[in-house]
Amino acid sequence: MDSATLPGITVFFPGALRAKIGNRSSVLVAGHTIREVINALEHDFPGLRFNVCHETGELRPYVNIFLDGENIRYLQGLDTPVRNGGRLYVLQSVAGG
Amino acid sequence: MGRTYVPGTVVLSVGTKRGLFLLTSRDREKWEIRSTAFSTGRVYHAILDQRAGCRLFATDNGDIFGAFLRYSDDFGETWHEPKQGIQFPESSGQKLVNIWVIEPGRPDEPETVYAGVDPASLWVSNDRGETWELNAGLANHPTRERWGPGFGGLCLHSIVPDPSHASRMWVGISAVGCMRTDDGGRNWVFVNKNVRADFLPMVYPEFGQCIHRLVQHPTRPDILYQQNHCGVYKSTNAGDDWIDIQQNLPSRFGFPMALDVHHPETVFVVVEDQDGRNNVGEQFTVYRTQDGGERWEALTRGLPGGPGVRLGVLRHAMCTDTEDPCGVYVGTNTGQLFASRDGGDSWQLIADFLPPIYAVTAVVVG
Repeated sequence: MDSATLPGITVFFPGALRAKIGNRSSVLVAGHTIREVINALEHDFPGLRFNVCHETGELRPYVNIFLDGENIRYLQGLDTPVRNGGRLYVLQSVAGG
Repeated sequence: MGRTYVPGTVVLSVGTKRGLFLLTSRDREKWEIRSTAFSTGRVYHAILDQRAGCRLFATDNGDIFGAFLRYSDDFGETWHEPKQGIQFPESSGQKLVNIWVIEPGRPDEPETVYAGVDPASLWVSNDRGETWELNAGLANHPTRERWGPGFGGLCLHSIVPDPSHASRMWVGISAVGCMRTDDGGRNWVFVNKNVRADFLPMVYPEFGQCIHRLVQHPTRPDILYQQNHCGVYKSTNAGDDWIDIQQNLPSRFGFPMALDVHHPETVFVVVEDQDGRNNVGEQFTVYRTQDGGERWEALTRGLPGGPGVRLGVLRHAMCTDTEDPCGVYVGTNTGQLFASRDGGDSWQLIADFLPPIYAVTAVVVG
């Protein structure tokens, strides 16, 4: 399947990461799963994946990803499938309070 | 054109729990404090490298989005990430926790910079910090699976490249001890003989010591000093064995250590109450030896004392400058920065209300 047929999804980023994506608040990428979306982000913005995931590939503990309002930790994690037109929010968790 | 400083200006890079500050002075009496654009991350270490240009390196240990090394070529106004930063290979199964130290290489290798991280490993860049490579000799050391962390993690915090021996280097790892390579990093040996590990069943093991800081004599490269969890030590044979120079110090426990490059028998430490991790008694004190550890004197003039004084100093939060008499700078984990411009004889508070201070390094602008 070429990228033209992949689901397109809008990914929103917190302020701390916007410098990495050209000082925008969101970008449009494609992928079948969250993992593929993160790989696509890494392709477009090299180094961004390391902000979200450890070297081992797992999601950083204080990073939350919400797909259409649901925390992916309670779905299928990075293997959660995405739908065309979906909205993905990368957020830092409430830590320390 | 970015910010510059006139030659002779002393620049202190002060890494804190919330960002990096620069303090500058022409006379080491009046200081200007400046925030940098680097204002949120935990800066365990920062250093201004003048060997090839003027590049400021800092560690950005973020609470949420990972640990990064960054550099600035305009004294902190803008920051850049390396093209290939410090990241473990996915196949290693290792995860970067914190970057603890950045150490410029030898004077004759101006493009080379080293970094030490948790989990304990040594990284090298041969292009002024643009790309980084893991030292495989240390990463694959045969004892590695038996290394255990100290309270601050399994951190490689001290790097001493020998300027007189291109293939020799020492590193300090908590709680593993001191290690040395004599073949450019292919092989590493433990050099911990006679160093105590009071928290282990065997007090003098081959490794497992909790070294806190390691410094080298600038003109006699086989002389090393270390502040350890369990005492202060000196080696006169490149670490082959160590001499306890605790002498009259009131505690074995402390973190930082620095020496006077013009009078290298002069060494400074800040020993602490081991349980409270702050000054012993009610007087904040820097201790100085001027005879290579035969005797220590308490330096208190200008330093605070009294019932409410409980100051702690972390491992990278004390340094000297290269002037003569040397400046000595001590940052506390409650945000005070003290300076002496007479080799420790007297002190003044040059900054207060900073975030907890993790590291202080000094450079005289050339």
